[in-house]
Amino acid sequence: MKCLLIASESAEMLFYWTDLEFQQNIQEQYGASQEEGHGFPAFEDSISTLFAPIIISFSTMLTEGDSYTSFTTENNHIYVLHQFDECLYIAVNGDGEEKEEDLRRKIYVMNKMIEVLFGMVTLSGNLLRKELRARDTEQRLRLWKHLQSLLETYSHLRENDQSFLVEAVERLIHPTLCEQCIEFLERRLVQQINSSAERGGEEVLHAFILVHTKLLAFYSSRNASTLSASDLLALIIMAQNMYPSNLDVDDPSPEDIDSTSGSGHESFYTPEPSPTDKDSSGSEKPVRGSTPVFEFVDPDIQMAEDSLSALEVCPPDPATPHRVFLEVSQKDGLYPMMPHSMYCFSLWPGITLVLLTKFPHSGVAMSVYTFLEAFAKLEKRLNEGQGGSTRGQPMHEVRSKLDKFLKTLALNGIQSSQLQNVWTEFKNRAFSRGGPGFSRDLIPWCKNMKTQLCGIYRQCFLSDSGPDDTPRRLSPGLQERAQTMVQEKLMDWKDFLLVKSKRNITMVSYLEDFPGLIHFICVDRSSGQMIAPSLSITERTTSELGKGPVAQYIKNKMWSLVSTTRHYLQKGYSTLTLRDGDFYFCYFLWFENETGFKLEAKDIPTMPDDSAPIGMLARDYYRKLLRYYSKNHPGEPVKCYELLTVHLGVIPTEIILQHCRQLASKLWEPSRNPLL
Amino acid sequence: ASVMAELLQPDSRMCNYFFLYDGSKVRGEADPTRDGICYFYPEETPLDKQELLCGQLAGVGRCVSELSSSPTRTLRLRRNKFAIRMKDDFFWALGCSVDVPTVSVSEFLDQLIDLFCFYNGPVRRSYQLNSQETLAARWARYLSHLQSGSSELSHIFSCLRTIDSTNVDPLLLLKAALILQACQRCPLVLAGCILFRGRVVSTQMSPGLTMKVMVHESETYTKAQRPNGTSASSSFSGTVSSTTVFLTTPELQDLQSAPVDKGFRCCPTTPQRDGPSKKTRLSRTLSDTPSTESQVSNPSSSQPPQKASLSPRLSDLDVFSPAPTHSAANSLNPSPQSLRPSLSNGEHSVEDEMEESRSRKSTGGRSQIHSEGDGSVFEEDSHLNGGEGEGAFGGVFDFQAVESGNEQPHDDKVVEEDSSVSCGSVSGHSAGKSDPPPLLPPPHRLSDASEENALIPMTLYMHRVKGLVLALLVEPHFMSDATSMEEVYHSSLASLNGLEAHLRTISPGAPGGPGPYTFAHFDCVQSTLTTNLSGRSGGAWDQPFVRATSLLHSHFCNTETLQEAIIRSASTAVYGTRSVAQETYFQQNGGSLRNSGIPNHQDSAFSLPSKARHRLLKHGVNLL
Repeated sequence: MKCLLIASESAEMLFYWTDLEFQQNIQEQYGASQEEGHGFPAFEDSISTLFAPIIISFSTMLTEGDSYTSFTTENNHIYVLHQFDECLYIAVNGDGEEKEEDLRRKIYVMNKMIEVLFGMVTLSGNLLRKELRARDTEQRLRLWKHLQSLLETYSHLRENDQSFLVEAVERLIHPTLCEQCIEFLERRLVQQINSSAERGGEEVLHAFILVHTKLLAFYSSRNASTLSASDLLALIIMAQNMYPSNLDVDDPSPEDIDSTSGSGHESFYTPEPSPTDKDSSGSEKPVRGSTPVFEFVDPDIQMAEDSLSALEVCPPDPATPHRVFLEVSQKDGLYPMMPHSMYCFSLWPGITLVLLTKFPHSGVAMSVYTFLEAFAKLEKRLNEGQGGSTRGQPMHEVRSKLDKFLKTLALNGIQSSQLQNVWTEFKNRAFSRGGPGFSRDLIPWCKNMKTQLCGIYRQCFLSDSGPDDTPRRLSPGLQERAQTMVQEKLMDWKDFLLVKSKRNITMVSYLEDFPGLIHFICVDRSSGQMIAPSLSITERTTSELGKGPVAQYIKNKMWSLVSTTRHYLQKGYSTLTLRDGDFYFCYFLWFENETGFKLEAKDIPTMPDDSAPIGMLARDYYRKLLRYYSKNHPGEPVKCYELLTVHLGVIPTEIILQHCRQLASKLWEPSRNPLL
Repeated sequence: ASVMAELLQPDSRMCNYFFLYDGSKVRGEADPTRDGICYFYPEETPLDKQELLCGQLAGVGRCVSELSSSPTRTLRLRRNKFAIRMKDDFFWALGCSVDVPTVSVSEFLDQLIDLFCFYNGPVRRSYQLNSQETLAARWARYLSHLQSGSSELSHIFSCLRTIDSTNVDPLLLLKAALILQACQRCPLVLAGCILFRGRVVSTQMSPGLTMKVMVHESETYTKAQRPNGTSASSSFSGTVSSTTVFLTTPELQDLQSAPVDKGFRCCPTTPQRDGPSKKTRLSRTLSDTPSTESQVSNPSSSQPPQKASLSPRLSDLDVFSPAPTHSAANSLNPSPQSLRPSLSNGEHSVEDEMEESRSRKSTGGRSQIHSEGDGSVFEEDSHLNGGEGEGAFGGVFDFQAVESGNEQPHDDKVVEEDSSVSCGSVSGHSAGKSDPPPLLPPPHRLSDASEENALIPMTLYMHRVKGLVLALLVEPHFMSDATSMEEVYHSSLASLNGLEAHLRTISPGAPGGPGPYTFAHFDCVQSTLTTNLSGRSGGAWDQPFVRATSLLHSHFCNTETLQEAIIRSASTAVYGTRSVAQETYFQQNGGSLRNSGIPNHQDSAFSLPSKARHRLLKHGVNLL
């Protein structure tokens, strides 16, 4: 029994997702059965009515300075609450499958996905509310359905995929093939696209190939900034959501492997929608979940009617890329939520090519972000009562920049009259001699400016077409050629890759050197990559763990161990050993410099229980940790590693610890290290 | 020397907020929230703040419990966590700092409510009979009692304060136990305990019940025995007092039944709410076996007194050394018997009962006596147990241990108890008999909720000799039965005086400075805590130790299969280990930990288990 919802401060439902059980539970409680055919809106009403007292009480308590973080009941239902800006997220579990920490993580991941989809619009509560809760019901339902399906995809990955358990990217271990592919992406694919006339002003920055969730090859062009682990993980979720590779399904039988065409395995392949099919959810077909399927009217009609309506999340034309907002690091700092286009091609079921491009005008996003930051800082200063004319000094610089920016907008045909008006008013108040100057009275105008800036951003990057009304994308022909090129390249490898992705590394190769070792996970937190023996627990396949219940049991233990280690890490403990039942678990987190020299441990900050979950996907805890640790090692790149092991409990502790030591050095030996 | 926990940081307070809110008083829209507030702590909190907290928390609590169709248990805020209890229209909330483990907060609230009900009976009724002010004073008193002298460690473990047994001649403890047994010869006496200066010397009651009794003791102690609400009996020179108390059905059954129940299942590792979960006794004496009027009135009963004398001890072994069961069951399939938390669900308890009685039968436990009523078994049994028992125990132990059961007429209550109990296989054994055997072990848990909630009035009798108090739970008419009272009074007076004189001369062990190590040892069965943590010296190692202990205790509570753990930060390492009967935490002080966080078997953190085993032996903690 699960539920996740987002509500505005006024208890307006901005988004919700429930599983069938929760829905039935609510419906039973609400008594009156829904009208036939209109179950959805009626259910929405009942769920918002039932949660309204909690949401309102949350706001009330918040104004008193302390608000709720979680509830539990006698039958072990868990409620977790967290507010991001003006949106309150509530996650509920009533079936014991998720703990408080899992729910909190789910909330943060949901927030991350919304940031990736809406960028800086999330910084304006008002605009975001309009995006999430479009006035047009069907448009809203379509968006919600997309978000619901993303959430389900994420939950599925978190429960089944080790790389989403520890939130680090897993690479496919095959150095030669990996190298070849990277070279191919660089020399052939990216070069060809970026020099093509059909690229519509876009430029490929990153290209990568996924086999299921594992990374086969990743190439970034020279002028691209690094793609953060957090963003990469979010993109993998989106790619999985578009082309779900059902990991629950057993290994393809030989016949399955023979059928190489894309129409092969129906259970994890969804055909591309035909061009006439305007039901955009076709390309986003969720394989799991119980959300009902709805009929939609042509969304374009609605778009024309309501200029402030929500964006087109699911492009009706499959050639239209997804807009994603990712972090970009420049020389002068980090810019979050910079617009990119994401092209996702299913090469074969389970194998996906992803291209990330930037497009013209993306410089506007950087300017908007700089201004937003400036106004936010000013607002904070004013709130703290540090007005004063001298404090307004940095604003003079902003003033000239913003004046210039407005001119640029006008030149590019971007609607900016409202921003212009607000800005003029702001200037009158702040800079004119007789005006109130930099006082608290300016705070609403700071807010107003921020909203207007977000509006510009929305207009540029979230609306259907660009300011100059040209479709911004690689031409469909170019897209098709790119897809075919990679397909040809990988044709001979594809079956191998699909098998390899489920047997990336196996425990067998470790058993001789490490008797008694059952499983391990190693993570390089500096690069955001992990390595672990495959945990295959389906009925048909037999892993080293055996199959069926035993393997499932060890998997569950592993999952709970990771959650335990995070809990202790949150409280400042970086080493942990546990004797639990017949098993002995170890966890180590440590730092090294680039040459592999182990660095001295330092006490890690402790955090409250309701702080952001430890991981890399939603909030990158390890980046903060590395920054904290590096303070003592200025100028020296510091690396952070984690090792988790499970041994049989009968093995003497001494030997277990020796294993851990050997394993740690073996895995990160440059010659053997598949990650470097 | 090990110092008891209450010496530490006497003013540290666990509870930030506590309130009782009566929703039935605030039904209409116009009803102000303040009408529903029965009690609010801290009392100096401004009324609008009280209203805010009560209104919001009670509102959200109700909303959540409706959504989940189950009462709300905790409401957590960023700076406070509230344990919640909802019953009828009452809403209790106890707010603590977020650092206190949630299990501990919940336990604290349960204790507080139980305490109130123990002295006042059902809450609704008390509020009908008494003024809000009177009851407010009582809540305040119980709250302050539970918090008094509490240290941070006792926020984590709710433990009984006992006298430091390492300083006390064991013979004195035996003497105390004998006094209690002697009192129990009076049929109206259920059970008792002896307290000295607010600490337990010996008790026949469960830790939970002992804790409750101690509140009254400390109260009369601090009030220097001035007569108050409780009636002091003039004939006993003001040293005797009594008050009405209310026992829950399980508590009463526990007192009236054989003691050898599934104590090991009651280890508080199960975070469930069980008032009656801690059932085993501190001082387990033979008199713990049930007594009925008939037995005492027929001291020369035909049953040989020794018959039962061995068996409770056998069962005691079961109870106190459950380790083998545990380790055998620890892995994939935790044995239902040893690890399943006590269930309040009827079916399960019946099944458990069946298993229990079956296993007892096969191991030759006490149940043989009443299992079949088969003469030959009976005789053989008595022969077995009797032979050498007579000489060894006959003189020392009183006759109440005699299980005279079957042929004797019974006290009505006992019969009643039994009939309510005989729902499982147990009753099957006796089906063929005209007279149901009264000495069956009652089910651990009565499934029937109303029965569990029922509160039976009893009387708490107290006899004070300076710092020493004999507290007895007695049948209500004991106080009007002059003969019984005199008998109990006079039979124990001399012994109490002697005991008091001895105990007075014992100097409490001086708290040592920060030693080379810190440890805490919690006995889950007896609810006692032993530690060398010197809160007064404010050792630099204390804080990390308490923090780690709190984390590990929560972890142990939530993970049944977890046996031991080492957690290590750059500066500290703590080892924790537990069995079903105990939890032990150990930290090496001084010197920096060798090696950084990398996997290294030479890391000094990994030598903690062996160090703990050696060091703690001298504290009487055996981790082998």
